Amino acid sequence: MNWLYAIDHKRVGILYMLSALLFFLAGGMEAMVMRAQLAAPNLKLITPETYNQMFTMHGTTMIFLVAMPVLTGFGVYLVPLMIGANEMALPRLGALSFWMQLFGGVLLYYSFATGDAPSAGWFSYAPLSEKPFSPGSGVDYWALALLMIAGGSIGSAINLIVTIATERAPGMTMRLVPLFVWMTLVASVMIVFALPALVASLVLLLSDRLFAARFFDPSQGGAPLLWQHYFWIFGHPEVYIVVLPAFGMISEIIPVFSRKPIFGYPFVATSTVAIAFLSYGVWVHHMFAVALGRNFLAIFAAASMLIAVPTGMKIFSWIATMWGGAIRFTTAMLFAVAFLLEFTVGGLSGIAFAAVPVDWQVTDTYFVVAHIHYVLFGGTVFALLAGVHYWFPKMSGRMMDEKLGRWSFWVIVIGFNTAVFVQHFLGLMGMTRRIYTYPDLPWFGTLNLISTIGAAILVFGIFIFLCNVGMSLLFGAKAGDDPWNAWTLEWAVSSPPLVQNFAEIPEVRSRRPLWDRKHPEMPDWMQA
Amino acid sequence: MTKRAQLGMAMLLIAEAVFFFLLILACVYLGALPRLAGSSGWLLTAALLASSLSVWRGWRWGTIALGAAFVIGLFGTTVSMLTAVLGIFVLVGTILIALVPVSALRTMALYWHFCTAVWLVIFAVASLA
Repeated sequence: MNWLYAIDHKRVGILYMLSALLFFLAGGMEAMVMRAQLAAPNLKLITPETYNQMFTMHGTTMIFLVAMPVLTGFGVYLVPLMIGANEMALPRLGALSFWMQLFGGVLLYYSFATGDAPSAGWFSYAPLSEKPFSPGSGVDYWALALLMIAGGSIGSAINLIVTIATERAPGMTMRLVPLFVWMTLVASVMIVFALPALVASLVLLLSDRLFAARFFDPSQGGAPLLWQHYFWIFGHPEVYIVVLPAFGMISEIIPVFSRKPIFGYPFVATSTVAIAFLSYGVWVHHMFAVALGRNFLAIFAAASMLIAVPTGMKIFSWIATMWGGAIRFTTAMLFAVAFLLEFTVGGLSGIAFAAVPVDWQVTDTYFVVAHIHYVLFGGTVFALLAGVHYWFPKMSGRMMDEKLGRWSFWVIVIGFNTAVFVQHFLGLMGMTRRIYTYPDLPWFGTLNLISTIGAAILVFGIFIFLCNVGMSLLFGAKAGDDPWNAWTLEWAVSSPPLVQNFAEIPEVRSRRPLWDRKHPEMPDWMQA
Repeated sequence: MTKRAQLGMAMLLIAEAVFFFLLILACVYLGALPRLAGSSGWLLTAALLASSLSVWRGWRWGTIALGAAFVIGLFGTTVSMLTAVLGIFVLVGTILIALVPVSALRTMALYWHFCTAVWLVIFAVASLA
């Protein structure tokens, strides 16, 4: 019962993570239903209508009910500990935001019980999402649920911003905060600026559907393209909202397991800000297939290529941090290194899309599906798995099993790449995304079967990971305060931390306050 | 506490500013602005400006009365998406002004002035169109 009323940031953080796990399992099952349906040509395991519901719910779930909440959960749990605070700045807002988000998720899934889950895709383009083409209540549930979730996300983002702005320990300037905090701050500011575009789109859509307005109805002077513009003004920053905190985790983990401070801290921090600005100027690359005029396309193509520069800088910073370091390949580090490779694959296919002619050729094919999964699974989820293995000892007080960890790592890596890499080829061969079934064309059956087998392997890998979490919670070795010999303040408190994190608020003089404490003879601040 | 609450409120108002900007832009682009007959727009403007003055002076009940009058007047005179959304925001603000402790009135005043500013923009754009 205590958890229902919890306002302590550590409990709220855990609640976020648990709800995200629950929805991750639901979204994973939806993915497996799709992969089963696509395993062979001309299969008819489920109806086309059900298939549409599956990909709509899978996308909506993974973005809004898994990626965002789990990253918020890590932020809410870790930020106060990392900046030497005992609580979030607005604790009750934190709890309210979580329950809004969860209520939105429940509302979305309730649509299954009405027999009419949304089926217009996770970006529900008008006019498909309009009443004449989606007459059931599914899109209404979808839009109302997303309104709740967006409200919760904005609330938690505001809370994180105010916390980072006002609760830092004495001496901790913005030049000294851990990079996870920096990136959580930037992602939160982006939520404040980007989510309102989603809310505005949803208000317009609901006006059309429930109050007979005509915002997206061209026959009545409306403009369906308006939906695409507004949705992607939200949607592209959203990509960075769910990837920047993951970058932050990588920026904490790689230095600790390389025994070197991060290479180029100011570049990693400022390139994040550059990404945030640029991400508002690239939304049209989701709409290149629309005839918008050459100059217009050229501007957005250039901006989309430009955003690869600050992103690439980070990759180089992480590699340079590892260079010459005494690397410890724990499971957390394995996932972090795999992140570098998988995310780079997604990043490179992303740059390909910035070239308009390439985009025209592969838009709405499985090439896009492969790209988004390399970015969001290969990127965000791999970083999250690294983060779970890294911070699990802090949150639970127990170590995760390294042997099971290695097994889960290799099975997940093999399963994920088998499932998704072949989708690049399917896309280039012309297989459109969201297609219910396909004819027996050369290679289509084989590659799809490989993808389905890969997905099954991936499920098995996730199963091993969850077993490891469960077993380690019960039987794991005691972790102690600082099992990794790390440098940031969360490792200065007990594992798990007490309700009051810090008996005494620490004073901070460098980026590695714990190093300073362990090495009073050569603290960082003396070298600077 | 006040500093944190006001910073949080400022962040919320940034989000709302983006939200209303996009809604107003859509309505301007599609020509779907509210039509305010006769002097109703000026009366509503006067009520909301007076309520902003009232909340600035810290008069809780004056603000509630003027806010309620604005909401009733708004829904009574015009039907449009923009005015309905703003009306809901003012209604929520009125309820919150009634409920929050005195110490939070200063923070709520920020929200209130923001609603007044949005109304002024909507009124100006609708009058000029």
